[in-house]
Amino acid sequence: MNDIIVKTVARILIPFIQLYGIFIMLHGHVSPGGGFAGGAMIGTSFVLYTLVFGIDKSKKKFSERVSEYAESGGILLYIALGLIGIIMAGSFLTNIDAGFPKGTPGSMFSGGMIPLLMIGIGIKVASTFITLFHTLIEEEEA
Amino acid sequence: MSALLESVLDHINYLGAMALFVIGLHTVVTHSNLIKKIMGINIMGTAVFLFFVAIGNVTDGVPPIITGEDVIYINPLPSVLILTGIVVVVSITVYSLSLVVRIYETHGTVDQKEIARLNDEEAGL
Amino acid sequence: MIAQLPIVSMVMLLGMALIIPLFKRRNFSVTTSLGFVVLLAVWVLTLLVLWHVRVEGPMTYRFGNYEAFLGIELYIDLFAVLFVFFILSLIMVIYVYSTGDATEGVAEKEYGRYYILLFILLFAMLGIIYTNDLFNTYVFMEILSITTVSIISIKRKKENYTASFRYVMLNEIGSLSYLFGVALLYMVTGYTNIGLVAESIGQHWTAYPANATTAIGFMVVGVGIKSAVFPFHVWLPDAHSTAPSSSSAILSAIVVKVYILIMIKVLFRVFGLSVLDVIPVSTLLIAVAATGMIMGSMFAMAQTDIKRMLGYSSVAQVGYIVMGIGLISVLGLQAALFHVVSHALMKAALFLSVGAIIYKKKIRKVSEFNGMGFEMPVAMVVFTIAALGMIGVPMTTGFISKLNLGLAALDGGQAVLVFVLIVSGFLNALYYLPIIINAFLKDNPSQIRVMRVEKIPKTMLGPLVVLGALIVYFGLFPGVLIRVLEAVAASLL
Repeated sequence: MNDIIVKTVARILIPFIQLYGIFIMLHGHVSPGGGFAGGAMIGTSFVLYTLVFGIDKSKKKFSERVSEYAESGGILLYIALGLIGIIMAGSFLTNIDAGFPKGTPGSMFSGGMIPLLMIGIGIKVASTFITLFHTLIEEEEA
Repeated sequence: MSALLESVLDHINYLGAMALFVIGLHTVVTHSNLIKKIMGINIMGTAVFLFFVAIGNVTDGVPPIITGEDVIYINPLPSVLILTGIVVVVSITVYSLSLVVRIYETHGTVDQKEIARLNDEEAGL
Repeated sequence: MIAQLPIVSMVMLLGMALIIPLFKRRNFSVTTSLGFVVLLAVWVLTLLVLWHVRVEGPMTYRFGNYEAFLGIELYIDLFAVLFVFFILSLIMVIYVYSTGDATEGVAEKEYGRYYILLFILLFAMLGIIYTNDLFNTYVFMEILSITTVSIISIKRKKENYTASFRYVMLNEIGSLSYLFGVALLYMVTGYTNIGLVAESIGQHWTAYPANATTAIGFMVVGVGIKSAVFPFHVWLPDAHSTAPSSSSAILSAIVVKVYILIMIKVLFRVFGLSVLDVIPVSTLLIAVAATGMIMGSMFAMAQTDIKRMLGYSSVAQVGYIVMGIGLISVLGLQAALFHVVSHALMKAALFLSVGAIIYKKKIRKVSEFNGMGFEMPVAMVVFTIAALGMIGVPMTTGFISKLNLGLAALDGGQAVLVFVLIVSGFLNALYYLPIIINAFLKDNPSQIRVMRVEKIPKTMLGPLVVLGALIVYFGLFPGVLIRVLEAVAASLL
């Protein structure tokens, strides 16, 4: 797609989509949304990038190698947080008892480790979206 | 008669879920088009989710957000469970759709009878 | 400390699956050896848990220290940990074999993916057996279905795609039926935790009999579809025969059994005897099981492809297990559990020995096995031992499990089932014996008559010998296993 309008608009929009995705991801415990929804938004921003600038450029931004690390890393982060629970409080995925700060209810820094878990889920979902889309496009071209 | 109607209206969610489940099952079992089979699975899934969410409903209940007022909350747990269920059914759908793409590439059709005929021909040769 | 081990072993398996893609570009043998180390570590941990549970009794593990009605639980009793231990041991044997031959029909760059799927499969099975939550069971069941179907379709062949599609459709009907049953139970009890449901089902059962009856129907049928109980078996032969040989062994020997373990859990732990006495589940289960035992063998006789034949034989063998469950007695359940173990050993040995022959000779037709006993003696001897076990010849595990089943049937006053057992044994003999006789006594006309012993890799030979030895060992000395399984059966009822 070699349309200057589309390219410019996409270039302006993509950072905001990603920022909003991160916002949704981190506020999952106080408002609707969460890791899945936020991750899907970040993934969608890359889908937009691929549609506008083509698969080759998109692959440079988010290569297969990166997506492999991100997909495994997201769940490994989740598991690591769970293991902290085992070490600190004697039970997998313990939240407040394991020493995660409680914070004031309703603010972003509350809910203990839940925002951290959401980051893990978000990374995983976003990279899965991107990988699936890239695979589909490549199969189409091949 | 009106008592029956009232009872039907009271349990409309459950009846709807049952009907959808049967429709979905019928679609999966009887249609030979693979895409329609996947649709049938989705309808069945929706039926179960509707049923689960309907269980959690409380008459005159409000969403369970603590505001300090004295109100009845609906049961949020079924909705949370169903969120997981939806993700699971979506992934199954995606997987079976990708299989259908492969089947179309190798057999050139998405009709089960046709595929069975092709396989029989191949075995006969 | 011991209480943490089950979750730690599950996390280790999942973690292994996650780190395979991170170094798959390096030498592939690193991956397989690391995988074996992880399996061995998990096996040792499970052995520790088994010892602990045997001494101290069952334990409950709560995630995040939440109360039972809020959070989710693992319930680690002798039943769970014994079968996890057995599954891990069998998987280790098959894993060693698969490093020699993961590979039949799998592209080389897919090896890594095969092991990712294998470890996620294991993780899901451990989850299903350990978990104490009906909804969690559903989620793990779906993980298991997706990984299973991916393993079936990892070979890029036509018939794999159609077989996997049929597998997905029927298994999804099964899962959704199960979930519907869970919903009906949740409706009357308000819990998904198995322990709490079992506590409250006693009082709610009389108030809402329709719900409980429908729930038990949906759940048993759902799990029945997934474990290929007779009328719902249509997906099994295709799926299991098209998969790579080592995964056919895993699917037929272990995955199907895991669903049967869920059925046992649902029937005995969730509903319990008070409900089962009123609803005629027992009669229905025995009826389908007996039909399956005969019909599965009948279908198997008609097959020309050896792996499809083994698939249909699995249908008949699942019938034996379901019959044992359907008797609803300690003896019957103990016989069923023993047959779970014994059939897993025999079917794994059959699929692996056939796999070794397919690996070397590239043949799949039953008629091409003539004279194979001279060319591949080890594989064929193991095949013979396992096939004799299937028929129920003394000195094999198959004989012991048939004996137990027969005794349990007599004990339950169902003498006709003994007749069904004997007929089914005869039918097994009708299709297994000709293969053995032809393999050892007939010459293959296309071969020159020379003793040519074809060598297969040691990593494939070792597991075959181990499995053959285990079949004979448990056939000669079943005492310990039977005593343990009796304790398990008594604890479930």
